[in-house]
Amino acid sequence: MTEQPANSPDHASPTFFPASTLPASTPSDLSSQLAAAFPTPAVSLPGLDMPVDIFLSGINGALVRQPRMDIISSDLVTGVQIENRWKPHRPKLPTFKLTFPEGIEFVPPKPEVDAPEKGKLRSLKPPVTNDEGVEQKKKQTRLKPPSDALSIQDRLFYLLQPPIENWLAGQELVMPFEPFDYQYEGIAWLFSRKSALLADEMGLGKTMQTITAMRLLLRSGQISKVLLICPKPLIPNWQREFATWAEELPVTTVTGDTARRRMIWEMSKPGIYLANYELLVRDFEELEQDGITPKFDLLVLDEAQRIKNRDSRTAATARGVNRKRSWALTGTPIENRAEELASLFEFMEVIPPKGTPDLRQLSRLSDEYILRRCKDLVLDMPPRLDRPAWLELEGAQQHAYKVAEKEGVIQLNDLGDSITVQHVFELVLRLKQIANFDPVTNESAKLDRLRADMEEISASGGKAILFSQWTKTLDWLAERTQDFNPLIYHGGVPTKHREPILAKFKEDPNAHLLLMSYGTGAVGLNLQFAGYVFLYDRWWNPAVEDQAINRAHRIGQKNPVVVTKFICKDTIEEKIDRVLQEKRDLFISILGAEGNTEASMGLNASEIFGLFDLKARDGDSTREIGPEPAAA
Amino acid sequence: MAAGSTKKQLHLGFLAAIEVKDRGYVGGLLVTNHFGRPLEFQCTAPVRPNHTQEVLFGPTLVPYLYNELIGKTLIEKTGVKPNLVLTEDERILGLREHVDLPIGLLLVEASACPDSLRLGQQKVRFHDRHPTDRDVLYELGNLVSNETDLYEPFERVKQALQEALQQNKQRAA
Repeated sequence: MTEQPANSPDHASPTFFPASTLPASTPSDLSSQLAAAFPTPAVSLPGLDMPVDIFLSGINGALVRQPRMDIISSDLVTGVQIENRWKPHRPKLPTFKLTFPEGIEFVPPKPEVDAPEKGKLRSLKPPVTNDEGVEQKKKQTRLKPPSDALSIQDRLFYLLQPPIENWLAGQELVMPFEPFDYQYEGIAWLFSRKSALLADEMGLGKTMQTITAMRLLLRSGQISKVLLICPKPLIPNWQREFATWAEELPVTTVTGDTARRRMIWEMSKPGIYLANYELLVRDFEELEQDGITPKFDLLVLDEAQRIKNRDSRTAATARGVNRKRSWALTGTPIENRAEELASLFEFMEVIPPKGTPDLRQLSRLSDEYILRRCKDLVLDMPPRLDRPAWLELEGAQQHAYKVAEKEGVIQLNDLGDSITVQHVFELVLRLKQIANFDPVTNESAKLDRLRADMEEISASGGKAILFSQWTKTLDWLAERTQDFNPLIYHGGVPTKHREPILAKFKEDPNAHLLLMSYGTGAVGLNLQFAGYVFLYDRWWNPAVEDQAINRAHRIGQKNPVVVTKFICKDTIEEKIDRVLQEKRDLFISILGAEGNTEASMGLNASEIFGLFDLKARDGDSTREIGPEPAAA
Repeated sequence: MAAGSTKKQLHLGFLAAIEVKDRGYVGGLLVTNHFGRPLEFQCTAPVRPNHTQEVLFGPTLVPYLYNELIGKTLIEKTGVKPNLVLTEDERILGLREHVDLPIGLLLVEASACPDSLRLGQQKVRFHDRHPTDRDVLYELGNLVSNETDLYEPFERVKQALQEALQQNKQRAA
């Protein structure tokens, strides 16, 4: 609609009517005519002088408003602006994201006032410098993803962790002592495994490595609740080790009456729960009956050979614990039979229930899931050269041996079912003594060989230690090796005389031979200046022999140690050696580790009986006598 | 854990980009706490410029890829924002022009310029046009031990990138 100014002088008529109702006339006549024709009030708009305009649509053109005009102020435009609508194209780049869990930060106990040094890192090893005196970069142990970690998230989780040395450098986690390199490797190995058997030789720090790996897993949020099972006598030892190596970790020992233990089992707070094997079996059977299933992120079995019999209640209970990770600790994963290892693998859930892997499979599984190190391999020591000396008895000594053996076996057979292991043991001892020397003629194949070897050793200024299980043999030998200025060190020597003997052996260049008994000289002495060891007769257990040899082959030894083991052919010594060697061979074939033995690898009763072909008369026939072979 | 109980936190980003033969360019950003413990990791898919782009971008191609494409994307997408992003590649220092985070170039002591600041065993140089970036080290730099080797996390990033590429390749096969 077009608006017209209301006060236009050209349109003075104030009233509008529909055009169709009006005759053709001037506007001035129109008002009066309409007023006469329509007396009713009419629309009157005085002051508006606008033409009446009726549209064909019937809309009244009188709907006209007076326009309103205001004056507003506006900023002056000083320049021309052109909006920049173009943006550079940046292609979208796909990314992959990995977020690490927060982890648990335990609050360590406050350090004691009178122990200011506690909590500080003490370095056991000084900084290594090169020839120019510049400190060399320390070795760093990186975490490796385990072979069963297939997803990119799992693999990157391990790859992106800092080196263990950095982690334990005393910033985020304080270590009381700096671990050895092999211990760092053990910690890294445990950290990245859900199933693991740490089988380090005794004394290499399995406990410390386990505690530290647990600590890192807790700190990185991988685990929260840990159950550690050990033999009852070792509970205080673990408590002490936790206090030493991870003072911030809360350790709850499962102990007390049934109600208290149940309360502990039902706790959900993060930390370490420590229990013994007997309690585990007893409590979990009761909990199972009540439908309670404690859940753990990690179950650790110390002295895990306790579950070597897979059908035992202990093994079944351990396998039944609800857990995400399974670790086993033992120095002897195999004591007698390969099946013992299968039981451990079943606990670790790397073989199916009741699975029976063959030796080849066991060996492959061992490579993947077992970590075993021996002292001489990890402590950077010179090699130990074992040299068995096979000797043949001759003349009177051979005759004396044969007679004693024949008569002894006849006597044992006559005992029939009343025979005990003690009877057999006595015969073994008698025969071993004759193999050392003939008590009647003093003939000895071993002495002849010893003299020959000692000539060479003394000529080169070397020193040798000889071990025997009998003091009588040592005294007998001392009389016959005077050329080498022998010294005697056994239980018969008064304690106050012992230290001077060792000092003389070390300092006197003419003292070439130290005669020691296994019982007195096998443990706790440092004789690393001796380069030769003779085992004049064999101990029952290779672990004791190794301890004896380790008097010379220990930290500080600079040269290889030659170990000569005297074994008389066709005698009881040969049979004992064979049994012990079979045990070693089984161990090595599966674990691939050499030069390691443990105390439990000694002869058992069945094996002692097996040294002789013993038969009892049963009417006209004979039958074997002796105990059944040891059950697994 | 005496030092670990402190409330102050310095989140460090370690940004690395590498060229992999026949695969192109990839980048990774590892965010750690000031002890070096990882908090988050981001990596990009490989970027492979075509021949035309190589010709058109010329010598600016790699800085463009590392900064505007890879670096900027990684920093934008990361959930745990670092207080300082470190790099060992001088070309990545230019990323500072595209993000609002301090970017520091890690230098060994011997090759450090006078205005660089010490952090751990190394020195850090900042972008010339952003002098206030240095404030982050004045405020939080003492949280990092002098024994800390700040080049070490880059080894982790590069190893993770190689691993990610390998997995990517295996999936493609």
